[in-house]
Amino acid sequence: MTGLLYISVRKTFGPTVALESLDLDVREGELISLLGPSGCGKTTALRIAAGFEFADSGAVTVGGADITRKPAHKRNMGMVFQSYSLFPNLSVNMNVDFGLRTRKIAAPERRKRVADMLELVQLGGMGERYPHQLSGGQQQRVALARALAIRPSVLLLDEPLSALDAKVRLALRDEIRRIQTELGITTLLVTHDQEEALGIADRVGVMSSGRLEQLAAPSEIYSRPASAFVARFVGSMNELAGTVRGPDAVDVGGQTIMTPSALTRNTGDSVVFLGRPEDVAVRDSDQPGLAGTVTATTFQGASTVVGVRLDVLDTLIHAHLNSSTASHLRAGQRVSVEIDGARAVLESAGAASPVPVDALA
Amino acid sequence: MADINPLAPAMPLAIDPEIGGPPTAPIGGVPPRAGRPAVRFGRLGPTLVLILCAIFFIAPLLTLARYALQNVPTIRLGASTMFDKWSLSGLTKAFSDKQFGPTLRLSLKLALGTVTLTLALLLPTAIWVHMRLPRMRAVIEFVTVLPYVIPAIALVAGIVVVKPHARWFLDSDYSLVPFYVILALPFTYRSIDAGLRSIDLKTLVDASRSLGAGWGTTLRRALVPNLRTAIISSAFLTTAVVLGEFTIASTLLKNTLPTFQATYVKREPQGGYGLNLLALVATTGLFALLTVATRKRGSRKVKSALTDPAMAETMAFAGITRSQQGR
Repeated sequence: MTGLLYISVRKTFGPTVALESLDLDVREGELISLLGPSGCGKTTALRIAAGFEFADSGAVTVGGADITRKPAHKRNMGMVFQSYSLFPNLSVNMNVDFGLRTRKIAAPERRKRVADMLELVQLGGMGERYPHQLSGGQQQRVALARALAIRPSVLLLDEPLSALDAKVRLALRDEIRRIQTELGITTLLVTHDQEEALGIADRVGVMSSGRLEQLAAPSEIYSRPASAFVARFVGSMNELAGTVRGPDAVDVGGQTIMTPSALTRNTGDSVVFLGRPEDVAVRDSDQPGLAGTVTATTFQGASTVVGVRLDVLDTLIHAHLNSSTASHLRAGQRVSVEIDGARAVLESAGAASPVPVDALA
Repeated sequence: MADINPLAPAMPLAIDPEIGGPPTAPIGGVPPRAGRPAVRFGRLGPTLVLILCAIFFIAPLLTLARYALQNVPTIRLGASTMFDKWSLSGLTKAFSDKQFGPTLRLSLKLALGTVTLTLALLLPTAIWVHMRLPRMRAVIEFVTVLPYVIPAIALVAGIVVVKPHARWFLDSDYSLVPFYVILALPFTYRSIDAGLRSIDLKTLVDASRSLGAGWGTTLRRALVPNLRTAIISSAFLTTAVVLGEFTIASTLLKNTLPTFQATYVKREPQGGYGLNLLALVATTGLFALLTVATRKRGSRKVKSALTDPAMAETMAFAGITRSQQGR
């Protein structure tokens, strides 16, 4: 049993609260990614697991054993960093060997493990090279091999892909997932990239200002966000002013949208309706729905993003349409828009947006 | 006089072959661009400055060499006597002086002691400041410059006051070591600081610790090898300070190489200046050797002290200081 467990972990830096009270259970063999904007506390959570920071209160356990106060070098954590962290003075072999030497493992065993690890990250035969002779992606592979060579109880990944270019990032992401599944190693990944978080993890924890807003499977995070913050942070959202009309209905611009999210609201409440662009259908203007004008269409391959300015609210909303469906739409064209509220989220009108503007981009 | 100037050997090396090339014959097959003569004239300026600097540094050394190594009366040292009567007799005479051996040995021991103490104190401190107190860096940098700003004579005045109460300490020849550590601080701290800035210290430390290394192993295996250039250049600068310091040694009545040189040059000017020249050549030679030695095979990213801009800045700073101190 090598699950990683945070129990009411709190951490402050002076007046700044980095973690309010984190409860998180990374089950054995599971990969959890912590997602959030910078400063949300995700990196602090990871560094507390690594032993680089210590919790003010609360506890961290690995496989049931309390490690809260254990210094970093006595924990058995494999860590991969955002920046290239290979020792520049050591060859690839010696880098991977570093942790084995500190553990005083016998030389033949070390040689075998180094070779195995480099094989695992598909860098067999590169052992004699030095870090500066490797590409960024290769360096991160070596860093992964180095972290795994010590057979850590938990693998900690601190934005391991963010310094790489898009293509390498995608390949290495799949690679990390393959190796992680193959070894069945408990893994905590920290990232600000939602695509990365959703694409790799068994479960995703979305964090905001020191709090874990939601912890759930990627599909659930996307389709059933627990809060307006999660809804806005993960994927994009159309935001429309509305009024609650009943336990399952909201009035937006004179149109009634059926949505289960109205259940916890009182009839007559003013709300902000948050809906996914995929849940917007664009029809010809003689069909029922909210009338509007197409402002722009952006072709993105399989899908096309269509911007529509609604007449009633003078609001711009976006629709993600199948490119074939959207092929007849032109800027300036009058259309009718229908919104599916099944996955929508409601927020009390006037609540300050907790998401920084750049995170919405 | 004994202005040991670490910058001097860097000068010829600093002439980029491309800049140094005659403007009419561009290197590397770049066709001359007739429409933009400004670019080509732009190269002439820096070349000229470099040549002038080289003359500025080398001419005094050459005249010093002629005075020290030519057995020609000073009045007759001119262009016509350039190749007359070169001889090492002045130097050999200085070597055979019975005070030369002991003072040289003491100065070398002092240099070794100063380097050891400096590194033992400075390396952990500088690493700690970089890791945990990054905001204090400016303050600490200011403090380390103080020994440079405050004249050595002020320090000496302090020593004189304390002297009657601290005989047990000041009587030992090695009591100079702590003073030299302080005197060298402006250079050593800057050198180490520049080295620490050039590596990703925090990540290297974190990586090493996550792999099971304690602080000692981290320092030994992950940091020192990557700070090699900084450590060597700070050791070099410390040595240069120790081999050039006169005021404190003289006040405390120690017979170090510089105090010997100061008295000897009055007795035997030719041999004395020869000794100064030799000290200069030997230190720069040592530095050049260390620079070559630090260029590790296979890892071209390991910066040599001469090519690392941060290190060059420290060296230039030290060079200026040394020439100002010239007694």
